[in-house]
Amino acid sequence: MKIAVAGKGGSGKTTIAGTLARLLARQGERDVIAIDADSNPNLALTLGIPRAKASRLRPIERTVLNRVADSEGGIKLVLNRTVTDVLREYAIETPDGVKLLLMGKVEHAGAG
Amino acid sequence: MCGPHAAVRSIVGEMIGTHERPTVVDIEAGLEHLSRGTARHVDTLLIVVEPYFKSMETAVRIHELAREMGVPRIHAVANKLRGKEDDEQIALFLKSRGVDVFAFVPEDATVLKAERLGVGPLDVSSSSPAIDRIAELAGKMRTAGV
Repeated sequence: MKIAVAGKGGSGKTTIAGTLARLLARQGERDVIAIDADSNPNLALTLGIPRAKASRLRPIERTVLNRVADSEGGIKLVLNRTVTDVLREYAIETPDGVKLLLMGKVEHAGAG
Repeated sequence: MCGPHAAVRSIVGEMIGTHERPTVVDIEAGLEHLSRGTARHVDTLLIVVEPYFKSMETAVRIHELAREMGVPRIHAVANKLRGKEDDEQIALFLKSRGVDVFAFVPEDATVLKAERLGVGPLDVSSSSPAIDRIAELAGKMRTAGV
């Protein structure tokens, strides 16, 4: 079950994503993870993390990636550790047992 | 290709592709951020849509893009609905554009209160009209067995 949640800003996308993740856990799914790829603290709040703590959460660092040559002569980025290790180092436990991963803010407009 | 966006996309793609348990990704608001890396690893895309024209148009564009990328299941989740008329209008509009509405989530005092307090709806109440619809959505996702 790999679900991406999209929508315009303000549509309630984050509320739906976070509440869905918690309800999957409450309905008995184990090891649910939620990934905040939208660089806002609201997913953490929706998952039940208190405001004071949400602002201090540590995003995943780019050091988890290695640049390697791909078969077409280009460069691709791959994880240099197991998912279990990434979760151990960076996942934040939330009240319903959903593990939260935060992607870092992308500072450079237009890059990538 | 190795800018900060590429790095975020690579991490998201790698995590979704490798983690064997249920994963929910809150992707960036603009549809240009639905990257091929993310789309390749996702089995279901939920497009949250509000009952007004611009939001529905955006949903249709996201749907087209996701289909081109080959996302296996794409559904709309209609949100902040204020009554039967909203339900019908949004279902009619999206159906005419080939988009299936999978869940109808009403505007809800519990969600508004949660937003005001900066907490999750489930920290305000374990049941409300909106929460109950999202719980049904969770049940449908589990039944789909993906």
